[in-house]
Amino acid sequence: MAKTISKILLYVIVILGALTMLIPFLWMISTSLKTAPETIKVPPIWIPKQLQWGNYVAAWHAAPFGRYFINSVVVTTLSTAGTLFTSILAAFAFARLKFWGKNILFVIFLGTMMIPGEMLIIPNFVTLSHLGQIDKYGALILPWLASFFTVFTLRQTFQSTPDQIYYAAKIDGASDWKYLWTVLVPMSKSTITAVTVLQVIGSWNSFMWPLIVTNSESMRTLPVGLQAFTTDAGTQYQLLMAASTFVIIPMVILYIFLQKYIIAGISKAGLKG
Amino acid sequence: MKVTFKDVTMSYDGKTDTLRDLNFTIPDGTLVSLLGPSGGGKTTTLNLISGLLTATSGQIFFGDEDVTKKDALARKVGMVFQNYALYPHLTVLDNIAFPLKMAKVPKAERRKRAAELAALVHVDDQVDKKPGELSGGQQQRVAIARALAKSPSLLLLDEPLSNLDARLRIEMREEIRRIQRETGVTTIFVTHDQDEALHISDNIMVLSDGHIQQFSSPTDLYESPNNLFVAKFIGTPIINTIPADVLQDALAGIIPGEILERAETAGIRSEAIIPYDAGDAVLTKLSGSVTHSQKFGREATSDVTYNGQTILSTEMSGVPEDQAQLDFYLTKKGFFLFDDAGTMIYGGDLHAQ
Repeated sequence: MAKTISKILLYVIVILGALTMLIPFLWMISTSLKTAPETIKVPPIWIPKQLQWGNYVAAWHAAPFGRYFINSVVVTTLSTAGTLFTSILAAFAFARLKFWGKNILFVIFLGTMMIPGEMLIIPNFVTLSHLGQIDKYGALILPWLASFFTVFTLRQTFQSTPDQIYYAAKIDGASDWKYLWTVLVPMSKSTITAVTVLQVIGSWNSFMWPLIVTNSESMRTLPVGLQAFTTDAGTQYQLLMAASTFVIIPMVILYIFLQKYIIAGISKAGLKG
Repeated sequence: MKVTFKDVTMSYDGKTDTLRDLNFTIPDGTLVSLLGPSGGGKTTTLNLISGLLTATSGQIFFGDEDVTKKDALARKVGMVFQNYALYPHLTVLDNIAFPLKMAKVPKAERRKRAAELAALVHVDDQVDKKPGELSGGQQQRVAIARALAKSPSLLLLDEPLSNLDARLRIEMREEIRRIQRETGVTTIFVTHDQDEALHISDNIMVLSDGHIQQFSSPTDLYESPNNLFVAKFIGTPIINTIPADVLQDALAGIIPGEILERAETAGIRSEAIIPYDAGDAVLTKLSGSVTHSQKFGREATSDVTYNGQTILSTEMSGVPEDQAQLDFYLTKKGFFLFDDAGTMIYGGDLHAQ
């Protein structure tokens, strides 16, 4: 009996948690289908009288979202691929190779994780403007080609693979490079998938940095583009929410397909996302 | 491929030597076991041969070629690890073919060769499975096939059977022997299990304390141990050891007095105490009492008391228990004398009868 009660209680808590997470999304979708007066009605209404599907068409045409979409895809793809490549190499070095100053270097890198991202905005901006990359893809991608969080997560996974597998690969004629790409990386598939998804989501959703380093319309990414609906005259909530919905859809699809790996990867690495 | 160690010393920390001045030659085409207690230097020796470790000093030769400075990649040996170390993301066939892939053998050819090896080790019906779906014995077979894939000149096995259950161990050690005979590859086998070593090896190297205690055939190891350590390490039940002076009177006139004088410890195998006079095979007659008998399946043991010393015998099963007074015989075979340094000074081949 006590068992049943505690189980019910557990489910109630879990369901409440899930609702807390879901309500903003439901509100977003609900608002995206309202008319302008309905969005600010008090008390709020959840289901609009007439579903305004036209909001989506209007939102798409309100700004060059096609262009933003391409920019977001390019930036996300390149920065994620770059981060993965540098992180896999660095994680392998920290996990397996012996070199002078390895532990000190690792601690220093670990320390960089404590620097707030906001503090890096100005130095990065200055550096990139010296490089003449402002308002170009370079500014959007270059600062994001390395992530110590990813290095750290991968290193934990790489370290947990048995030494004997490494020795076996050596005996079988695999160099360190071959071992890394033909054995270690495929073996660490779930962690790599998890960090990839986290990188993709982070990059796709990033707002502050693209806002600062881009001026021209043609370089904007999706989250920055959402500003188009906030003007001096007020915010068109129904269009903003419609645009927000199509901006997050690719991430939702990605997450649904890969959630198995994400959860396995994060719990395996013993880290929270 | 013949393997030669010349004055090889290995130290992990630069202070204590794990191996000291090791010298030996493993003949081509033989199966040699490295046997000894944990920490004796067996795996270190194997890793020096494989190239996973580099010797602190000394030279290692494969055939006539000096490979001391070459790493594992360049030495081209095959190796089987204790926990098999199969690649979990690859199928059995791809695991076996992996060394060939690294050697850039064309795909069709390596698949063909991998399939042949899978047949050799009897896993040809499992080739599409992942290692995780196989039993321990099957994984071990795959590991052996993978080690053989690049037709290595040397096959190294590091305690390959210790993760298997008792029955499978016996089956797999016969398999290893069969595969070694069929391929003729020089094989070096690390084990701490003397039974395993005695059953499959052409020669056994007993390693303890970083030294070779003895390197000889299994028979010689048992019948003519170099020293007290080997005599005690090889054979079950463990050899009886009693102070040599207990036998002083009984052996006077039979064994030269000069040897008796130096003898510190006497070693008596349990089968060297017999209840009947076997004629020429007998060294001397002794008398004592039988105090305790036990039966274990096919085997029976009796505790024989002689001059206040208890000696275990496996040959007294016909004798009734609790005999106060009994004559019994000590055979020449299985009786050894050791000096105070533990070196054998009487018995075995030293005084072939």
